[in-house]
Amino acid sequence: MTAATCGVRAGSLGFVLCLRGVSKRYGRGPWVLSGVDLDVAAGQIVAVAGDNGSGKSTLLRMLVGLSRPTTGEIAGRPAVVGYVPERFPPDERLSARSYLRHLGRVRGLHRAGAAARADELLDRLSLAGGVDTPLRLLSKGNAQKVALAQAMLVPPELLVLDEPWSGLDVAAHGELARMIEEVAAAGGAIMFTDHGGAINTFNGVAVSAGYRIAGGRLTGVVPSSAEIVVADVAVVLLESPPDLDEPDWPAGGLPFADGVLAATADDRRVTLRVAGGSVDQILLDALNKGWSVVGVRREDDRGDGRRAGR
Amino acid sequence: MIGLVRYLLAVLLHSQRYLPALLLYLVALGVLTSDDSGPLVPVYALSAGALFVCGTWLTIALANVPHPVQRAITVVHARGAVPVLVATVLAALLSCAVLAVAGLGFPVLTGGHRVSGAALAVGGLALLACACTAVAVGLLCSRLVIHRPGYALMVALAVVLALLLVRGLPPVNLLLRLLASDDRRPADLLGPVAGLTGLAVGLLLISATATHIVATRRD
Repeated sequence: MTAATCGVRAGSLGFVLCLRGVSKRYGRGPWVLSGVDLDVAAGQIVAVAGDNGSGKSTLLRMLVGLSRPTTGEIAGRPAVVGYVPERFPPDERLSARSYLRHLGRVRGLHRAGAAARADELLDRLSLAGGVDTPLRLLSKGNAQKVALAQAMLVPPELLVLDEPWSGLDVAAHGELARMIEEVAAAGGAIMFTDHGGAINTFNGVAVSAGYRIAGGRLTGVVPSSAEIVVADVAVVLLESPPDLDEPDWPAGGLPFADGVLAATADDRRVTLRVAGGSVDQILLDALNKGWSVVGVRREDDRGDGRRAGR
Repeated sequence: MIGLVRYLLAVLLHSQRYLPALLLYLVALGVLTSDDSGPLVPVYALSAGALFVCGTWLTIALANVPHPVQRAITVVHARGAVPVLVATVLAALLSCAVLAVAGLGFPVLTGGHRVSGAALAVGGLALLACACTAVAVGLLCSRLVIHRPGYALMVALAVVLALLLVRGLPPVNLLLRLLASDDRRPADLLGPVAGLTGLAVGLLLISATATHIVATRRD
């Protein structure tokens, strides 16, 4: 599927960030990544899951140009890159507002433009504790909002986020998902990482491609986002109420809360794959809406994108 | 580039880590150079020496204040480590320029010297040479090159003392000795001082290149 080298892609719309045979080691240390091939095209949302120390952050640092591959090739990085690091240590006395204004000026925005954009982003992310609080006094969640805002100062063509949901309070998850979708809709590419576990952190972002990283190797887990980030999954079998004569899912949208990863309909029966933490809420919603629960069981799916049998 | 320099200076100002260096410099100027009525050029040897020490301190502060992750974000915004390093050098030189103006003007205002254009030019060049050397040393002793703060402090102290005190070592010690010897007219000193200033600028370029190579070596 992937070519041996990045080469020239004549006629393709937008950019394609291309990695071929990318390997990385620090000094004479062990190989952190080996033989990574990856294409990220404009408009794509790509997820990478892996455990701590699996090389996720190293991969992202190479994508944004902070780190060079030891061997291999990275080509096609667009001009405007937004980078949200895993930890944003705001050891600064600058306020959130003036930090963002300064970085806006670094990006080439005019004084008024930088100020307006900084205020707009902080308003969207509803920074509790105030835009004039020194960065070092912000809580972890609020600091993470500033980290997100700085990456969005100029609409990025490539947005790279390292575990963006960790530390961000739940109320901001929706705004983060909206920002990611905006970037994609505007033709930007998004690449983010997450732990293997928490689906709640995934919050409704439709992923175009997913990868798992383990032992320095990147393996694709297409097409569903579910396998990428979900370790704790339940399979819920529901039957629609008799008066709902045609369960027209998915066209009509699913009448349940967030947390549904995938669904298949068979006449009146609907099989849902649900994030472990959301099972109770979904069962409650379903029963309240007149559906009946046919069965619930845990799905034991921890890797390689294999699904448990139905 | 202006935006980057302004951001780095804002971070330095808010951190207040410039204050000890600034106070030390002002105290040194006050104690060493005020109310003097001898020739002007030897007084500038003292200003320039003080600027060398405090400029090194300021440069280290400037390079060390941003946390590495914060610096990484700045590098992404600036689209490369080189613009950030150049901005760091420019911000350090600007900070030194503020000190240098004080160092040039204070002896004239407080002392009873016979002021001449040549003496001011020699003093200005000497201050510039010491500022460039200070930034060169400061970069090499910053976190960008030496990660452990204890080692960095020891190396900085050793290099600063060596450059100040080792007899005849260019550019700083040789320069200060030239200025302090009062057997030559200021106009005769212009040539050698300008030469040493050129050497200091060269040292700064070498230091910045080396800093860039070392700082990005492990990336």
